[in-house]
Amino acid sequence: MEIPFIVNVRKDTGLFNSKVGIWLFLASEVTLFGGLFSGYLFLRLYADYPWPERALPVLPGLINTFVLIGSSVTVVFAWAALKMREWRKFQVYMSITLVCALLFMFLKGIEYNAKLGHQAVRIDGGGPVQGFEIVEGHVHYAELDEEGQIHEVSKKRKDEDGVFSANKIAFKASELTFVLTRPTHEAYVDEILKQAGDTHTITLNESYRVINEDELYEGKLNRSELLESENALVAQAGARLSTDVLDDLEDAYLDARSHDRKVRTKFLAASWDWIRDEKGIDEAATYVVEKEVWKERREEDTEKLKIVTLGPTAVVTFTIDPPLTLILEPSDLVKFTEDELRLRDDTVAKGALVPSPIIMGVDALDFRHTAQRAEAEELDPFPVIEQTWLLTHEGHHDHGDEGGGHDVDHRNEFKRIWDCHMAWLKAETVRLEKKGRVPSKNDKFRVNWDQIIAYRDVNPEVEYDKEMVYEYARDPEDGLVLYSSGLFDLKGFAGADHSEFEFPHLEIPREKVGFESTFTPRWSTYYAIYFTITGLHGLHVIGGALVLGYYLFFGRKMYDSNPEWLANRVEIGGLFWHFVDLVWIFLFPILYLM
Amino acid sequence: MADSIAEVQKAKKLYMFIGLLLFFFTIVTVAVATMESLDFGEHGFDKVDAIIGLTIAAFKASLVMIIFMHLNHEKPLVYFFYILGLVMAFFCIALIGWSKSDPIRYGSPNAGDGFYNPDKPATKSVH
Repeated sequence: MEIPFIVNVRKDTGLFNSKVGIWLFLASEVTLFGGLFSGYLFLRLYADYPWPERALPVLPGLINTFVLIGSSVTVVFAWAALKMREWRKFQVYMSITLVCALLFMFLKGIEYNAKLGHQAVRIDGGGPVQGFEIVEGHVHYAELDEEGQIHEVSKKRKDEDGVFSANKIAFKASELTFVLTRPTHEAYVDEILKQAGDTHTITLNESYRVINEDELYEGKLNRSELLESENALVAQAGARLSTDVLDDLEDAYLDARSHDRKVRTKFLAASWDWIRDEKGIDEAATYVVEKEVWKERREEDTEKLKIVTLGPTAVVTFTIDPPLTLILEPSDLVKFTEDELRLRDDTVAKGALVPSPIIMGVDALDFRHTAQRAEAEELDPFPVIEQTWLLTHEGHHDHGDEGGGHDVDHRNEFKRIWDCHMAWLKAETVRLEKKGRVPSKNDKFRVNWDQIIAYRDVNPEVEYDKEMVYEYARDPEDGLVLYSSGLFDLKGFAGADHSEFEFPHLEIPREKVGFESTFTPRWSTYYAIYFTITGLHGLHVIGGALVLGYYLFFGRKMYDSNPEWLANRVEIGGLFWHFVDLVWIFLFPILYLM
Repeated sequence: MADSIAEVQKAKKLYMFIGLLLFFFTIVTVAVATMESLDFGEHGFDKVDAIIGLTIAAFKASLVMIIFMHLNHEKPLVYFFYILGLVMAFFCIALIGWSKSDPIRYGSPNAGDGFYNPDKPATKSVH
């Protein structure tokens, strides 16, 4: 069938049909992104925490802007080449467009990867305004030492057995209790078994028995006899933990529970029939709610039910011998105390919690939220910040590696950095005052990674001298010269580079961790809207590239038979591509520069 | 829209010029946002910077629409769809204005814990 008006225009609209279609589609797209921008504005205007301003490295965003603008030019050139019947040029321009699309997504991948690997922790320390100081950085890697304690081994990723990122909960478990009502054990069981290896055995404490339904109905009403029956045995005491064993236990439990529910329903129905016959339908409901006669009847039922139900046990306990130190993701836990830990599937481990600090290299200190809360309570934010755990804790003493390694005292490192920052702020305030300006809240309360590097260079070995820093920081023209303030310094391409720089080391005791997350939607509404909008935009780039790629790789036949039709198609695809560029033109300043 | 070969050839120069103009204004946007000598309004990011940044972005977007998307040569039906989309987008953004009149959410002195009130921060972090 021939599709009408795909090459020539309709007289009533003055357009070929596919152009009507694409513009209608683009109108809906404008609405879609308008809604998302509206969501962004709403979240930003009404955020009750300091919105992360200019939180993304500018350079990848800037390159991506150039890439998309460049591709917009090449796609319109590709269309022009078809109009002029220059197939070769069309191929070249369209190929460049597709390379631009790939480059865009590659850079976006780098950016996403940096975000997903960047840790943030809200510390619930002390001081008049608690729980709002934030540190950002990269989690280091650790292992269990011979004493079963978490010990840092590397700041870089190490794919070795027993090495894990130092943001885990370690718990020395001697007993595991599984709840059979929730068939979600498998991933956790596999992980526990993997960690137990061959050196630990995990065995069932007591035999699990469920009364056999058939034997019950055969009239053997002595429950202890029924439980001792061979048919009642589901798993023998001493059985090794496995997903198969747990599956058997769960099946047996769920079958028995299903039986008991049916029996209970029958009893309830019989009780209802009885009260209805006794009191009539109108009064029966009242009796069910209020009257003693109903309660007596139900108590009788309960006694009878004890005889005719199977009454399976809903939990099973396994013993771990010798006790095993489990290394678990914090997000897998519902809660943990000193002697008990509960997984998301309600599995409970008994034993002893091993100190499980978050060990990280810190590349930013953020006291903006603390300051905001202090100001809300009419407190001077600076003394409040001075009293936070981060600036008052004792730190740790690292004796370095064996074989004459370094011996570094990390004590008060963050206090020293903050003091440097205060000295810099003093100099910055003087400098800005000459221009009739004042430092922003970002300047005052946030220490970025390039500042940390600069402050660490000030006086790393000896006691910090505030006046010296002040002199160092006071530059009549540019203020403190930061290590990587230049836009085109590739060391900070996607943010702080922890392989390049030595960032201050921090161990945050688990009880001081108020909230922790990588830079994902879980961390803040900023990252929620960032990933939503840029993710949807990225899907548009992929979709557009697929369509344009189809024209490039499969368009020759159409070009030979009806080149104008192909030109129209490319124009339609190009319109969509320009729209993708247009959205990014707004996204770039909003997300990267504001 | 350019239909004849001569017109298309001529339009290519315009497309190249507009592309360069877009590059230029992108650099201007970044310069305004990152260079202190071009930082208008208060020091650091503020409303003035937002207005300047979005104005430049709107100008760049207009260039893309008018030249690359051929809105300078389009038929009335396309303008209708285009304006329809814009109206819908502005409507979405205008919805934010209504949120201010929500008595339990914003600015109500009676808003209890659990409801956001910028004048009365929650006692516990909701970060």
